Amino acid sequence: MNQHPHVLVIDDEPQILRALRTILGARQFRVSTASRGEEGLALAAAQPPDLVILDLTLPDIDGFEVCARLRAWTQVPIIVLSVRDDEGAKVRALDRGADDYLTKPFGIEELLARIRVGLRHAARTQGAAQVIVKAGSLEIDLSQYKVLKGGVEVKLTGTEYKLLAYLIANAGRVLTHRSLLTSVWGPADADHVEYLRVFIRQLRLKLEDNPEEPKYLRTEPGVGYRFDLDD
Amino acid sequence: MQRPLVHITVRSILAALMVVLASGLMLLVRNWVTTPTVALLYLLPVGLSTAAWGLVPGLVAALGAFVAFNYFFLPPFFTLHVLHAEDLLALVVFLVVAVTMSRLVGRAESNLARAQAREHEAVHLHELTAALAGMHDDTTILQALAEHVRATFRGNEVQVSLQAEAGGPVEVVASPSHRASPESRPTIALPILGMRGMMGEIAIWRAAGGLTSDELRLLGTFSREAALAVERVGLAEAKSRARALVQSDALKAAILSSVSHELRSPLATIKASVTSLRTALVPWESEAREQLLQAVEEETDHLNELVGNLLDMSRIEAGSLKPQRQWNDLGEILQSVLGRMRSALAQHHVVAELPADLPLVPVDWVEIEQVFRNLLSNSIKYSPPGTTVRIVAREHTPWLRVEVHNQGPAIPEMYLERIFDKFFRFTAQDQVAGTGLGLSICKGIVEAHGGRIWVENLSPGVAFKFLLPLTWEGARPREMESHEPTSSRPGD
Repeated sequence: MNQHPHVLVIDDEPQILRALRTILGARQFRVSTASRGEEGLALAAAQPPDLVILDLTLPDIDGFEVCARLRAWTQVPIIVLSVRDDEGAKVRALDRGADDYLTKPFGIEELLARIRVGLRHAARTQGAAQVIVKAGSLEIDLSQYKVLKGGVEVKLTGTEYKLLAYLIANAGRVLTHRSLLTSVWGPADADHVEYLRVFIRQLRLKLEDNPEEPKYLRTEPGVGYRFDLDD
Repeated sequence: MQRPLVHITVRSILAALMVVLASGLMLLVRNWVTTPTVALLYLLPVGLSTAAWGLVPGLVAALGAFVAFNYFFLPPFFTLHVLHAEDLLALVVFLVVAVTMSRLVGRAESNLARAQAREHEAVHLHELTAALAGMHDDTTILQALAEHVRATFRGNEVQVSLQAEAGGPVEVVASPSHRASPESRPTIALPILGMRGMMGEIAIWRAAGGLTSDELRLLGTFSREAALAVERVGLAEAKSRARALVQSDALKAAILSSVSHELRSPLATIKASVTSLRTALVPWESEAREQLLQAVEEETDHLNELVGNLLDMSRIEAGSLKPQRQWNDLGEILQSVLGRMRSALAQHHVVAELPADLPLVPVDWVEIEQVFRNLLSNSIKYSPPGTTVRIVAREHTPWLRVEVHNQGPAIPEMYLERIFDKFFRFTAQDQVAGTGLGLSICKGIVEAHGGRIWVENLSPGVAFKFLLPLTWEGARPREMESHEPTSSRPGD
């Protein structure tokens, strides 16, 4: 990643474009903007960005389609920024390849944090796979299937480990219930959110310092879960 | 025609037998009765035969009676000679009695038959009107009409067509319903007439042939009843539409008055803060600047919440609030709410008492989070800082029972129900901020989940309580253990 990551913002609201250009520019990002879906896709192809911020309601093609068409050729992190806060829209965008979802209005600190996570995740997937992942007092050795908390090994069942490994491999990304269930339990169990609830509860009891206020295993209401490496 | 002839013959023989029997009896008592009395007594078999069996057996009896009377009781005895012309009078009397009685009986019978037919009609008509009375849509009315017409008129097929509104679609209902309408012309087709003329048609196919005038009259009444029922439904719909319009107008007016106040005040704060920040009056690094910025942020959050509430309310009003149910952990939902509301709740002690083994509950996460948010913000709005807000949840098969207790002032008894109404508040608007929508949204959401919400006064304090069903489509969550994937931990 270079010194000045390139962020492409696709949004039809001129005020949002202006605000993001100013704010992100001040944070040393290179910002390009598009107010239509096709324009955004063309820009992305001409100067591949390091991260895309995408609105769902665009005048020509909607954000879901932009998402799907970007994913046809690039793994660039996509953060959806939308006034739509229904879970259906979130799940649809995430299932079409978006990495994260932020509802307008949003705090700029929140957006910057999500951008950092997205860029870091992209750097990780491009480089060699990380073998040892550290997050706070947790240390997970993916080659040894070993989880340490404060230096003490934590015993996990097969499923718990599988779930944790999948979450960590996608750290920072929002994973929908469906994608978690499909990759850990299999497509036949894709709708059984109740399994997920129970296993997340168990993992939190084993890994979190305070299971009542989880730091790592974050819930995305009505959508899914996210493993947070940030403290 | 074979049958009536047989009947008449049999009955005539019976009549003759009755005369023979009467003659036998009178021969036994002939020494004690006079001849005129015998003649009188012979009227009995004649009258009875006529009354019981009709004219022909009556005439047979009359003739038989005369012959027997003449043979046994008139001199010369045991001959059919008639000595006096006046004896023939007996024959005439017998015949006249038979004819007169048969006519009287016939009239009584036909009166009875007509009365029975009328009663029959009345019963059918009553059944139809009773069936139509409770109906609220055109299709069921037509269906009922077709069924009743077919049953009453013994039709093979009945088809009813109707155009309820001018220019509207024509609805066609057939009985029996599964059959396509016959190719042939109907036996009879009668128009259904309403206030604005012909609305439709009843067509009957029946093997038994055309309808009698009585049947036609009844069919006409049926058709008028159905027309009335259809028109009644139309009027009721128009009325409820009008009422809904009036209500939604009232709602809009209430929203406008409540919302314009609620929207303006945060906007005023934001505008004032931002404009003063642009001037040189507020130093770049100062406490004042920090406070103004904080005010802007808080007020934008407030506005956002307000708009969210309005959207939720309009969804509830439109009936489009459909919970996206999933098996959820109530503790997890509550955690998320408490996390998001941390700064708002900072002035109060919030205690959550949830059993560790609380079962999963099939709810829409975001909506139940909204219920908690509204109940908690209501609680902190009305209870003094420093007091405790307690959240309790317990399994109460088949419900999950959740309670939010606060130390706020008691709610007057008469407002306990109304507190969940839109825009209802029993404190003056300037004392506590809010749209008056929060609790009605809670009610809308909990009821959309099939649950119930209410409020109770504690001593001291107030408790909001709600029930959520623990089953989803009649079932509890699937058992986990049996669905653990079989692959074991690869490292072991």
